[in-house]
Order: sequence, then C-alpha cells, then structure tokens
Amino acid sequence: MGIHVHLRVFAGRDYMTESNHSTFEHPEVQLAGTGYVAAYVAGIALMGLSLMLVKDHALDPTALGIAISGIAGLAALLQCVLLLHMTLSRTQIWQTVALVLFVPLFILTIGLTSWMFHGLYQRTMLRPIAASQAMAPAPLRAPR
Amino acid sequence: MLVHIDGPWSPLLGRLALTEIPYKNPILVGTFLFAVVLAVVLVGLTTYFGFWRTLWRDWLTSVDHKKIGIMYILIGLVMLFRGFIDAVMMRTQQAMAVGPHSAGYLDAVHGYLTPYHFDQIYTAHGTIMILFAATPLLVGIMNILVPLQIGARDMAYPYLNAVSLWLTAAGAALVMASLFIGDFAHAGWFGIVPVMELPYSPGVGVDYWMWAFQLSSIGTTLGGINLLATIVKMRAPGMTWGRLPIFTWASLSANLISLTTFPVVTVALALLALDRYLGTHFYTAGLGGNLMLYNDLFWIWGHPEVYFVILPAFGMISEIIPTFAEKPLFGYMGMVVASLGIAGVSWGVWLHHFFTMAAAPAVNAFFSITTMAVGIPTGVKVFNWAFTMFRGRLRFDLPMMWASAALFFLLVGGLTGMMNAFATNDYMVHNSVFVVAHFHMMLLLIVYAIFGGVNYWFPKVFGFRLEQRFGRMFFWLFTAGTAVVFVPMFTLGFMGMTRRLDYVAFPQWQPLLDIEVVGIVIYVLSAAFLVAQLYVSLRDRAQNRVGADAWGTSRSLEWITHSPVPFYNFAVTPEVHARDERSWRHERGLDDAAPVVYEDIHMPCKTAIPLGLGALGFGLAFALVWRIWWLALLCSGAIVALIVIRAFMTGTSYTIPARDVEKMEHDRKRGAAKPARAQVPGGSPAPVLGGGT
Repeated sequence: MGIHVHLRVFAGRDYMTESNHSTFEHPEVQLAGTGYVAAYVAGIALMGLSLMLVKDHALDPTALGIAISGIAGLAALLQCVLLLHMTLSRTQIWQTVALVLFVPLFILTIGLTSWMFHGLYQRTMLRPIAASQAMAPAPLRAPR
Repeated sequence: MLVHIDGPWSPLLGRLALTEIPYKNPILVGTFLFAVVLAVVLVGLTTYFGFWRTLWRDWLTSVDHKKIGIMYILIGLVMLFRGFIDAVMMRTQQAMAVGPHSAGYLDAVHGYLTPYHFDQIYTAHGTIMILFAATPLLVGIMNILVPLQIGARDMAYPYLNAVSLWLTAAGAALVMASLFIGDFAHAGWFGIVPVMELPYSPGVGVDYWMWAFQLSSIGTTLGGINLLATIVKMRAPGMTWGRLPIFTWASLSANLISLTTFPVVTVALALLALDRYLGTHFYTAGLGGNLMLYNDLFWIWGHPEVYFVILPAFGMISEIIPTFAEKPLFGYMGMVVASLGIAGVSWGVWLHHFFTMAAAPAVNAFFSITTMAVGIPTGVKVFNWAFTMFRGRLRFDLPMMWASAALFFLLVGGLTGMMNAFATNDYMVHNSVFVVAHFHMMLLLIVYAIFGGVNYWFPKVFGFRLEQRFGRMFFWLFTAGTAVVFVPMFTLGFMGMTRRLDYVAFPQWQPLLDIEVVGIVIYVLSAAFLVAQLYVSLRDRAQNRVGADAWGTSRSLEWITHSPVPFYNFAVTPEVHARDERSWRHERGLDDAAPVVYEDIHMPCKTAIPLGLGALGFGLAFALVWRIWWLALLCSGAIVALIVIRAFMTGTSYTIPARDVEKMEHDRKRGAAKPARAQVPGGSPAPVLGGGT
C-alpha cells in the first residue's frame, strides 16, 4: 500500500486500553488487597457448610431451605463487601449502583417463582414427606 | 463421587471408542464426506492463493471489532446452513411418514429417519438456529456497528471481544463434532426434564448440548459486558444519550438482557451438569429434586433471550427505514423508551412457556397480562416505523424490501403471540405446530432484519454494494418459501398436530405436509440465488464501489467514515453535533471536510491467546462430554495458565503516528490506496502477540 506503519509499544497516556507495565500495579489488583482471597475462602467455606448440611440431611426440608438461603445471603453479602468493594466512593459507586439495579430483578424472579411453586405444590406436585406434612393444609393430612 | 455409568470406559479415552463413530449411518457418512470435500477445497484454495499468512495475521489473531464481527457472521451463516439442512430433513421426514402404510427406509419403520435420529435433528435445529445462528449473526452486526455508530476506535475490551468470539466458535464446533463422534441431545432445544437426566439419557448427546450451550452462553455474557461498557464509556465527544443512534440504543437494551439473563442459564446448566456428573438431584422427580425448577430457570433466560435477539433486529429496521424514506426516524425518544420497555418487561413473562404446568389461575393470569403488555412498546415501534414512512420519499432498494417485509412478519408473529398470551388459548394450542409457526414468524422477522442489515451495511464494511437483481430474486423466493411452509403449519396447528412428530398418524394431514415440502424446496431454490448474488457481487465489485455514504441518504455517524472502514475507524475522533450526524454534516456541506490536525492513534495489538482459549475451551468441553478426565484437567490448567500469561504481558497496544494517519487518509482521498490491505477492514499490519509473527 506504499505506506509503512511505524509501530511502537504504547508507553504513555491511556487512550483506549489499560496500560499494564506491571500487572500488580493495575488498579483492580491494587484495590483487591487480601479481600479477594478472603472472599474466595469465605465462599468455599460457606458452600462447604451448605454441602455438609444437604449431604447429611442435617435439617428437615423446610429448615434446610431456610438455612441454605441464609447462607447464600451471607455469602452474597461477603462477596459484595470483599470482592466488589461496594461503597459510595467515587471509584466504586457505579459497581454499587449496578448491583442495586439488579435487586428488582431478584425480587421479581425469585418472588414470582416462589408464588408459582407455592401454588404448584398445593395443586399438583409432591414434596418430600417431612416438607409436605409441614406445608399441607390440615384437612389434607393423613388421619392418624 | 462421580456417577457410575454402565458401559466401557478407559482412562485414556474415557467413554470414547470406535463404536461411537456412526459409520453405519449413510446420512451421516454422506455428511462427513461432504464436510471432508469442503474442507479439502477450502484448504486447497487457501494454499493456492497463499492465504494462510493473511488468515493468521489478519483474521484468526485479530482483535479488530469489524473483523471479529465478520467472523461472528460467518459462524452464524455456516450454522444457519446446518440448521436449515436439519429443517429440510424434518419437513421431508414428516411428509414421508404419514399413516401406517407409509414406507420406511434406512432402518426407519416410516420415512427415512428413526425416532431417535429425528429427535436429535429437531433438538439440533432449535439449538443451532437460536444460539449458533441468530445470536452470532446479531452479535456480529452489533460488533461491527456499535463502535462505528458511537465514534469509537474499537470495543472497550478488544481482547475480551476476541475471547467471546472464540468461545462461541468452540461451542459451534462442539455441536458440529457431535455429528460425527457420538450423537446429539434428543430432548428438545430447551431440554425436557427429566429426559435430560442421566437415567433417561445415558449417552453423550445431552452432554454435547449442555457444554456447547455453556460455552456459547459464557461467550455471549462476556460480549454483552463488552458492548455495554463500550456504549457507556467509549462515546465520542458530543455523542450524548439523546444523540445515540437508535441501533446502538437497541444494542444497549439487548445487552442489558444478555448481561442479566445469560448467567441464569449458566447456573441452570451447571446444576444439570452436577446432576449428570456428581449425582445430585436438582432436577430429578424424586429425592428432593424439582424438575419444574429447570423449566423455571431455563425460561427465565429463555424468554428474555427472545428479546435479546429481536431488539437488535428492531434496531436495524429503525436504521434502514429512515434512510430509504429520506426522513428522520419518527418518535426517536418513544423508540428508545420502547426498547428499554421491552427489555424490562422481558423479565416478567417467562412462565407463559409453561402455562399448562398447572400453576394457580392467578399466576397464569399475571403472566398473561405481562405477556400482552409486551405488545404496547412493540406497537409503539410499529406505528413509529409507519409514521416514518408516511409521506416519505420511499425507495425500495434491497435493504428496504427486507425491512418492510420484516414488519409483516412482526404483525403475524405478534398477533399470534397475543393469541398465545391468553392462557386459555394456550391450553388449546400448547405444544402444537401452531406455536412452532408463531415463533418462526418472530424468528423470520429477525432473519429478514438481518438480511436487510447485511445488504444495508455491506458496502460500509466491504466498500461495494451487493448485487440487486439476484438479491431481489432471493428475496421473493425466500418470501414465497416462508408463506408456503408456514401457512400450512399454522393450519395444521389448529387441526391439532403436535410438534416433534417423527410419525404422523393422520393421513388427512398429508396434503398440508406435502405443501410444506414444496415450501422448503422453494427455500432451497432461494438459497441458490443468494449464492448467485454473492458471486456476482464479488465479481463486479469494482463497478459497485461506493463512497462514505453508500445510499446517499444515510443518517448516522458510521456513514461519515470511509467505505470500507479503515482499521482505525476514524482518522480523528469525530465531534458529534446532532442525532443524525451524517445528515447534519451533509446539510451543511461538510461531506468532504478533512481534519485540520491529525493525532496519534492508539490501537490494541493482535493476539493468538483468544484463539488458544477457544481451542482449549473446546478441548475441555469435549473431554467432559466423553469423561476424559486427564484431558479436562490439562485443558483447565492450560486455560488458567494462558489467562495468567496474558495478564502479565506487556506491549499489548501500539500507536500509529499522526503523520502516517495523515498519509493514509491522503492516499485514500487520491484513490492511491486501491483495495489493498489497508482497505480491507482492519487490514493494516499490526504486531501479533502470543505466538503471532
């Protein structure tokens, strides 16, 4: 094409992509600190706890559902604090806003799902014995 | 810990054995021979024309958003062809296997496909058309256009963009591999539980489906993040939200959907994988499992996915109609709100896919109403398009023909969708081919918009227009094929024909099934004209060269830069003054305005790492399908290693000095830089990282 494009490694201001002379000096890595490791360890520990509860059938189904939900909520909270650093600081506020914008979706999908299954369990679906005994309306309980 | 599966398994090859190669199936042998011949021809042509180096340097290792977009579109077209062949087989099987006296061939009692093979074909058809044809085609078009429409040099994360592409390619390759090694899922594209569970599908088909789906959904999620970040952060000076081109707004809405919903299907499939590999019971019918949970999770993604593919199509229509009506888009702000409205409502309608599951009447009523509510923003769009055309100077060039016809399919698909939105009506037609015909109308709307968009933006990307005469014949034949296939299908649905029948028990349906075969033959004929259109366009490209504004009445920012677009997109970052920047400049006689001062341009380097990640992703998925644990571990380790290596790489970007930019621009103006490398999209050499030369 009759032209020679001079190439040189970018070494100045950022125009488009992040310069990365030292990966450890990258802002994201700097921000992470020990939080990432702590979030990972906490996540593994809480998931392990959930697994143990389920594997050993440690609680009745209803209590198990509540316990797992509580543990999941705790894990999510820890991730928000340790991994996403959700604060209102200038650097982090958009991450916080983004997550807050997700909250209606969680409410919508989980809420509608719960509503749908609540009806389904009563109408058509079998549940594990303990749970169905706990949830079934009194007239439907087997006579003793 | 791992679930025991009956049958042979070896540490080296897992479940893979020679018996898994379907060399006794003449259809698959023929397909394999076709693939081999095609591969030999392609390799031969590449070698003959000395294209290997270009292929490696300018395409496989590229991070240029335009080339990545083109490669997405190529993947989409290849998979569209594969999905179309599946459709041909379904239509012919159903027409042949009618009534107890219909003949059987190739081990089939009726028709020529055994039930198990037929089930795999409709599963592959749906999976391919949604995930590996429509999605890559639209993501490809968004990839090409969004940075150009907002005045950016590239995507926000060019490297991540290439990773997304190659993960999608790996998923598509996995689907294709299942043709010749093992088999594919037989439980529908959305997965019917508990058929997807191991006791009912002990083969590898479901695993192929599951891992291909996972790869593609991860790729699309990453692509969604990239497009959102690009639109939010990379807009040129003056490109305010109120001036954002309408296709970019549509892309923003679509990718909000992709970012929020694809992770749901990733989790849904991960739970299925746990069931199949570790013996958990998330979706089993007993032991604490809940098979309805799968339906719920899948469709929480599945229905928003419909809008993920339809919103970019709406965006393309919204760009094409004003250009060929020679008027600004009517109701710009209404269109924006409608796009975001559709994206928002998409989250509250998913249960209409299983109205018949016997949810409480109040639940069904809620989802009926939300589903009908989708018609409001969609109606706003239709009226806005109509008012844009009203009293416009309408020109029916090819893009406008496709876009106008798309409106017709939106009408048919939308109205039948409204019918299905009534739970009472859905009880009548659920699982019938009426529903199949309905959603094909919606998907054809997308196909029409894509063909319109490809015809419209092709000159911007390649510098010459597509040929019109064969293009029109393709359009009319394709439209005729659509009518002849789907009008009988609607009718059969009303007559009670259920979907997925490998054998049709009612001989009175034969005439309509035969008409559908005629329609599919017309489709095949139309494809021949598409090939002719592409061939003639390529042959006559010198006569069909265009300037920056290929259509003379284009409106948005991408039309101010050269055609084809140089690899740096814009010589200087454009200053945006109006919503329709191209028209604004044209009205003020600024078409040929040149920059006073050029600046250095900062660009990302090419890299082979995304290609490597895609290949390793394929290897990992293949290993998991066949339970080859050593290979899975090896690929996983290599993926982590490559990501870490990339994180520590330096020199991942370079600058083009201002004087070189100026010289290239002057060469273009003088016509000195003829269609050489610099005029191929992204064609100028750049350093290759990670194995390139």
